[in-house]
Amino acid sequence: MEQTSATIGRMQIDLAGASFARLGVDGPVPAAISAALLANGGRIAPPDEPPRLLIVSYPLLPDGGEMAAPTWREIESAAAAMAPQGGRVILLLSALAAVPMRRHVAYSADMASAAVAMRGLAMQLGPHVLVNAVGCGVVTEAGSLLSGDDQMRGHQAIAGDGRIEDIVDAVLFLCDPLNSYTTGQLLTVDGGWSVGYGRNF
Amino acid sequence: MRTDLGGKVAFVTGAAGAIGSVIARRLAENGAAVVVADINLKGAETVAGGVAGAMACEVDIRNEQSIAAAVARTVERFGRLDILVNNAGVNTLAHRVDIDAFPPAEWDRITGIDLDGLFLMSRHALAPMLAAGRGGRIVNIASVVGLAAMRLQSPFVAAKAGIIHLTRSMALELGPKGIAANAIAPGSVMTELTKQLFYGADGKFAGKTEAFMRHIPLGRPARPEEIAEATLFLSSSAARFINGQTLAVDGGWTAGYMM
Repeated sequence: MEQTSATIGRMQIDLAGASFARLGVDGPVPAAISAALLANGGRIAPPDEPPRLLIVSYPLLPDGGEMAAPTWREIESAAAAMAPQGGRVILLLSALAAVPMRRHVAYSADMASAAVAMRGLAMQLGPHVLVNAVGCGVVTEAGSLLSGDDQMRGHQAIAGDGRIEDIVDAVLFLCDPLNSYTTGQLLTVDGGWSVGYGRNF
Repeated sequence: MRTDLGGKVAFVTGAAGAIGSVIARRLAENGAAVVVADINLKGAETVAGGVAGAMACEVDIRNEQSIAAAVARTVERFGRLDILVNNAGVNTLAHRVDIDAFPPAEWDRITGIDLDGLFLMSRHALAPMLAAGRGGRIVNIASVVGLAAMRLQSPFVAAKAGIIHLTRSMALELGPKGIAANAIAPGSVMTELTKQLFYGADGKFAGKTEAFMRHIPLGRPARPEEIAEATLFLSSSAARFINGQTLAVDGGWTAGYMM
């Protein structure tokens, strides 16, 4: 797999050969996550074996068309197969899972629904499988918007856009064997957008 | 995880305690110069003695003079301050009563340390961070009771909820200045004290341990190392774009009702 800047991260974890699989949509962010998992000692799960790490990617752009993510039944079934050996499930969502936007009501609802289902699955599959989500804010690469909405920048406290490696590192943290007590969490990586009003009126 | 905190200076309050000492060690293992700060100087010295490059420092976070002196010592010794971990906090065991019976003096003591102290400590630690203009990190150790209230500890619940929202204020105000602020909400953490309380034969909550653990999807309390790991992540550049978040490290306790 091609080495990208995201694979040479600001943090390293030791996955010790843990297998991983991806469900859901493709794109530069999920691809960078795969590359980073490989660079940190992960391996691609064979098709006939439940993975130790399951990355479920949802569309990160609100206008990305119909929700192309797998159904919750598919996710639940794949995660349940992981239970006997233990593992981690990480959902790649939008930060709109935490705070809805008026201009993206249906997308916000889909994201919030996935976040609540994630919490339910964490309760269902604990202590064997840890289930968490990353909520992505505005992420760009070479000027192209990969996640979020241009309007989000208005309430984002940290200057500049998010980068792919910001999302990748949050996913790595949630995959880290040393981070073993975090489950049922939505970790938003959005520069503070979902926190509150980032500007005065 | 492994990360590079080389050249960074971290100030950890309550660092003589069970969780703070592990946080201090974990930051140092990743290259930070650590100030092991605590109201208990002897305890801080003991911890610092086992942490490479660390400095023990006495600080009473209720007292601005004490805080100012501790920050001045930090800058004098290391020349900078990059990471503040507000870990110091107290609760009560003696006064597990409803709010109508809660002694006002005990309310003042708990909120004075847990919330007011955190504000004062942050205010002073921010001065060298802002003056240097290199950005920085604040990690506030809150509690799951700041997210989901529990009975019989109202000042602790109120103070921890206050910390979580204060963290959001910090994030909005300091983010544009390059300082990210986040919180960690630990659930039940196994320390010598909680081991005795929950598992000791004469422990105050010994009979309730099993019922309590049934509310936690992971079915066990955290190890201090697991709180330290999240602190390390939020202190690192890997969390550059995470701001104002409260990460519950609680084994799923606050994910929902286990029924």
